[in-house]
Amino acid sequence: MKYKFIGLLIAVLCSAATFAQITVKGTVKDKAAVPIPGVNVFVKGTQTSVSTDFDGKYAIVVPSKEAQLEFSFMGFVTQTIKVDQKTVVDIVLSDNNQTLDEVVVVGYATVKKKDVTSSIASVKGKELQTMTVGNVTESLQGKVAGVQITGAGGPGAQPRVLIRGISTVNLSTDPLYVVDGIPMGTSINFLSNNEIESMDVLKDASASAIYGSRASNGVILITTKKGKAGKTKFTVDMSTGYQIMNKPYDMANAENYANILNTAYTNSGYSEYLPNAAQYRGKTTDWWGAGINRNSSVTNASIGVSGGSEKNTYAISLNYYDSDSFYDIGGWKRVTARIANDFKFTDKFSAGITLNPRYETWGSPSNWADFVKIDPITPIYKPADQLNGTENEYSIYARSPSYVWNPVAAVKRYDDYTNLYNLNSNAYLQYEPIKGLIVRTQGSVEFGNKIWNKFSPDFVIDAAHEKAEINSVERKATTNVDWTWQSTATYSKTFAEKHNASFMAGVTMENYDSSDVWGYGEGVPNNSESMREVSAATKNRNSSGTSWSSSILSYISRLSYNFDSKYYLTASFRRDGSSKFMANNKWANFPAASASWRISNEDFMANTTSTINNLTFRAGWGRVGNQNLPASVYQSNIGQGYYVIDGNVVDTSYPSTMANKDIRWEIVEDVNFGLDFGLWKNKISGTLEYYQKTTKDMLFVKQFPTYSGFPSYATIWTNVGSMRSNGIDLLLSYKDKKGDFSYGADLTFTTVNVKMVSLSTDGEKLYGSSNRTLTVQGEEPGYFYGYVADGLFQNQTELNSHTDEHGTKMQPYAQVGDVRFKDVNGDGKLDDKDRTKIGSPWADYNVGLNLNFAYKNFDLVANFYSSIGNDLVNQNISDLYNGASLTNKVSGLDQMAWHGEGTSNYIPRLSKDDNNENFTKFSSLYVEDGSFVRMKNLQLGYSLYNKFGFDKLRISLSGQNLWTWTKYSGVDPEVGGGVLGSGFGGWNYPVQPTILMGLNVAF
Amino acid sequence: MNKLSFLFLLTFFSILFTGCQNDEADFPSSDNPTVVVSTNEIYGAPNRKFEIKATLADDLGLKNVRIQIPELNLDKVINFATDPLLTSYNLSYFFEVPANRGTSEAFVIKLTITDVSGNAIDQNINLRLDGEFSAPAISMITPKEGAVILLSSSNKLPVNFIVNDDSGIDYVQVKCAALGIDEMVQLTGAPQSYTFNKTYTLPVTAAEYVLTITAKDKFAIPNLGTLNINLVATNEYPAIYLCDQPKGTNLTTDAVGVPMYFHEKVGQDFEFKYYADTDNKQIYFLGQEADFAPHCFGLNASGNLVDDVTSSAIVLPTKGYYKIKVNPSTLVYTVTKYTPTSKVWADVANGLWHDNEALRRPFVSIAGGGIQGANWDTWNAWVQTSLHLANNPNNPYQLVGEYTLTGTMEGTFTGQWWSPSWRLIKNGIATMSPGENGNAKYPAAPGVYKVILDTELERAFITKK
Repeated sequence: MKYKFIGLLIAVLCSAATFAQITVKGTVKDKAAVPIPGVNVFVKGTQTSVSTDFDGKYAIVVPSKEAQLEFSFMGFVTQTIKVDQKTVVDIVLSDNNQTLDEVVVVGYATVKKKDVTSSIASVKGKELQTMTVGNVTESLQGKVAGVQITGAGGPGAQPRVLIRGISTVNLSTDPLYVVDGIPMGTSINFLSNNEIESMDVLKDASASAIYGSRASNGVILITTKKGKAGKTKFTVDMSTGYQIMNKPYDMANAENYANILNTAYTNSGYSEYLPNAAQYRGKTTDWWGAGINRNSSVTNASIGVSGGSEKNTYAISLNYYDSDSFYDIGGWKRVTARIANDFKFTDKFSAGITLNPRYETWGSPSNWADFVKIDPITPIYKPADQLNGTENEYSIYARSPSYVWNPVAAVKRYDDYTNLYNLNSNAYLQYEPIKGLIVRTQGSVEFGNKIWNKFSPDFVIDAAHEKAEINSVERKATTNVDWTWQSTATYSKTFAEKHNASFMAGVTMENYDSSDVWGYGEGVPNNSESMREVSAATKNRNSSGTSWSSSILSYISRLSYNFDSKYYLTASFRRDGSSKFMANNKWANFPAASASWRISNEDFMANTTSTINNLTFRAGWGRVGNQNLPASVYQSNIGQGYYVIDGNVVDTSYPSTMANKDIRWEIVEDVNFGLDFGLWKNKISGTLEYYQKTTKDMLFVKQFPTYSGFPSYATIWTNVGSMRSNGIDLLLSYKDKKGDFSYGADLTFTTVNVKMVSLSTDGEKLYGSSNRTLTVQGEEPGYFYGYVADGLFQNQTELNSHTDEHGTKMQPYAQVGDVRFKDVNGDGKLDDKDRTKIGSPWADYNVGLNLNFAYKNFDLVANFYSSIGNDLVNQNISDLYNGASLTNKVSGLDQMAWHGEGTSNYIPRLSKDDNNENFTKFSSLYVEDGSFVRMKNLQLGYSLYNKFGFDKLRISLSGQNLWTWTKYSGVDPEVGGGVLGSGFGGWNYPVQPTILMGLNVAF
Repeated sequence: MNKLSFLFLLTFFSILFTGCQNDEADFPSSDNPTVVVSTNEIYGAPNRKFEIKATLADDLGLKNVRIQIPELNLDKVINFATDPLLTSYNLSYFFEVPANRGTSEAFVIKLTITDVSGNAIDQNINLRLDGEFSAPAISMITPKEGAVILLSSSNKLPVNFIVNDDSGIDYVQVKCAALGIDEMVQLTGAPQSYTFNKTYTLPVTAAEYVLTITAKDKFAIPNLGTLNINLVATNEYPAIYLCDQPKGTNLTTDAVGVPMYFHEKVGQDFEFKYYADTDNKQIYFLGQEADFAPHCFGLNASGNLVDDVTSSAIVLPTKGYYKIKVNPSTLVYTVTKYTPTSKVWADVANGLWHDNEALRRPFVSIAGGGIQGANWDTWNAWVQTSLHLANNPNNPYQLVGEYTLTGTMEGTFTGQWWSPSWRLIKNGIATMSPGENGNAKYPAAPGVYKVILDTELERAFITKK
């Protein structure tokens, strides 16, 4: 009986279940009746979900007629439908042109885009993931108006990111990165672009003031991917390909090299350097081919799993990035995992935790220029008759008379690598005791350990010039433990239906502790891998170690109010206390306010709604700070130096820097005016903004007055000077769809004008980059400062006329074919007073153009970025065109350089002595138009839906940096640098063209 | 001003001013400018500057002057400021005739003076290249510069020199106020060569004299040559030099150290420290630095020390360091070989500059002037490896190298950050710091020189290679 009962019970339950289940079918289309493949159909409250096929069709089993189906797809408005009695549910999804409903992160909160009152630009992770890059900001280039990004080549290189230009001269210009609410400093190399859900750029102070003393360079808020309720989804995203390293210059072969140098020598009155140049024909050493690989691999891969229920969602990803250098050794590898769990215990209580372990390893030679510069006659290895069999493996290489160290040997010796281990944990608790009041506390802890190892073997390539008589080994370990804790309470309420208000208050604490220890030794018994330890060193052991820490405590608040979604007002206030500042100015306040008027919501605009979907005017003001200070600002330091006193070398100490108890942080105030618009159902939309930033209390390092008693070389940081910048940001978007063909374009336009308003004293001149840049009041900072090269002396008459009014030659050592420097002040002398502004490293404007097309299963993305109106210093011409050095020259230089009237008005005659200082005088000869247009990315993709057991399968082929238009003749027009030394192009590792294959799978 | 505003204004004003014929200020008509040249015929010569002098004037204002000699590639325009207007200008323009022109050539210098009203006038000046600008050459036979006259031997001063000049000699004059000499020889017929030979008598008291010899030629623009000869008339030798060069050697071609100045002096007892770099080294003692005459101390046939330019050399039998004492009055000398005990600096020579600090090695280099690649920065001395001295493998007390001198030189041999350092003071003395202050300047013909720094002798020898 018992068994019968059990059997009956099972049968009843089964039948009940069978009777309750309903299969619902249908088709999902857009408003143009075009089927949409890949739409996620999800049964709410369960983990059941399916995707539509290529024809937009789906079939899903729901537990009951009470079930609700949710249809979601990127770019469309999500719809939820109750099944009821229906077994066929056809859906028409609306285009998500109402981007105003998207959520924007604003710092300690999120708001709908339409409610934003300040200058914030958002980029979806999907847009960033179209490129395979080590640093995600590379992919951000050209996608955000007002953000200027200068790419950097090389594995692990960090691009220069300027948000609305510069607001400081002596401090860092990097923005603050905040990941999932946690400030993470000024570098974002640790993050894979596959981990990112969205990126929000806080451009003006009214937006970023909530980050107070670190926000003067702007703030970039990053939200990582989180799980969504529904069935477990697996994703595999992978792109792999190769980076192309093209030899930047066509260099002379051995015979041509000999001819070039012979010309330089004979032009200077010497006998030929390499007589009988023809003997070198066919004997060119292919240095480049011996050490530089044309192709180097790059791979970006992620596997992820996400899903969950209404109570718990999760997202786990494992990300791998590997970029080889173009040498046979070296590169950058990064492995990260992100494990995110969110819990909703009750309607009022939720929590989450994210773990982010990371491993990185990097190291690469940097002598690639030597492969270009070394003479083409010297062989790579010593001839057999110069070897006696006792040399070690690093001593068999030949020495070049060009004084360029054998680059193949240098790469062979290279052993300089860093490993980094890191674990970041981030957790929060959130409680809603009453409706509208959310109390949230969030903490994070990061443990990091970075270990740098270097070994320099002993070798003797040339006993006088190229050797290391003893090997050495060093290791440095740096450990950091950082924690943050932030708690906020937010209360939101709608009064009388039209008054919407929200108030947030909170407190944040951050603490950063680091320490390092360094060991060094020489005389390791041999150079074998197993002996490369400090403990194996037999001589000159040395060690050091130190620790440092900083902390910041802040109180934050924000009030937001809007009336009837027409009139908005936001005010925020942050009070920062930093350990970096002395007692007199330990605390500072950072207020901000902004307002907006949604004109399109006004009644008088009712007749225009078919044309004007959105028209909003915004205005904001705020104050932010820059506390990225060197330690010498707030520390007094004793310097050490050796001096000869009474014939004896004495180890001396002296006060090198003195803390300034009155030091304050640099303060930036800005005002921002913006106009957001959306036309014709937001087919055309955009934002036009104007801003003006003023920096006060700028930090400069100054010498003490003589009466202070301090030595002249002792310095102190002081708050003096100010600068002002203004500019226009424009974002213009267009998107449309014709049948199966959809297309869109985003245009970003950025201008920045910056001027120094005042310096510490009237008429003060701040020189930078070896006196090659100048910063003065009323001018932009760091402009190129040098002589004006006024062409070449084409004939003796031109040379003879370059005199003062009494016939005294202004360039007494010049000969025909040399550079004519301009007597700018007309005093008949060529001296320091004739130096003037010869170029600007700052672009007049930057333009980004992002195009996307889709036709049926094909999609195409093209991104362009340009910098217009900036100049660059091409420092390489000193190596390539100058006959004074023995390094290799560009092919055919003997014919390119001036060798008779009219043969050149740019490259001066070849000269061994360069008595006219054609190349040693910094002049406009070096300055070139640095404008460029670069196709950052071109990607063609093909997607399949619900095939082969996958929800989605996409393959893509892409090319990055394939095409660049520029007049700049240097290695790469993307040249960064500090404020006072920006735009000096040299042998910088170029941004490389890259060809990639991609595969994206979801199931 | 933002860029759009600027472009708008640029366009606006471009349109506004379209049709203007001349943006320059208009000046009323005026008289032609005037020019007064200092001479209508200028003498020049290849590889020599000549001066164009003229006074320019205009009643309203000068605009520019153009100077042209097409054959010599001269086309110079001097523009004058117009605010305020310049009504007169003294032109003084120098131009060097190219070295490859012939002395028989002649050219016309064309001056074009233009005033602000547009009036222009031309003025031609003849230029001849057969000018003679060389001062008469005075070749001194005796006494030589720095000559020492030992009054105990003779109080006679023979003065013997030859004067040469292509354009002919007008007169020769010998003056020495202290000796009451003022003798002018007016020559007739403008001979191209003249020999002066006369002996004067000196007072018996020791003194220093300056003999001034002047010669003037007969060129249209006369040239004057002057030579000052410093003499020392003494009862004792102020200095004695050790010379290890064969007789007849030009002792003025070195930059530093030849012949070698004494080390110690007590009365007329002079002591030298000397390094003989070979066996059987031959040496003399000289009473003057620049020549073997008049006082050259060597051995006579009996092996005794004599003051005779025909004497034989003293021979140091073996290689090594010697202490040598000599008294030129008593004609006694001693030679003693010794083994140095001073610090050997071989460990700091052969230095190496390297970007990696750990791989740098000490060095001895030079900081100074007149030396190619050198300046007074020790950092430069460090990184300019061509200035580094190497050990003499045959003598650990000597650091050797090669420098290219570009003219008068001065310097301090230095290690890293002046430690150690040897300051090169007068008479080739290079004492290790701390020592005497000041660096002496040594005239030197440009060229490549051998350098020896002897840290035992504390002397430098810089001789033409």
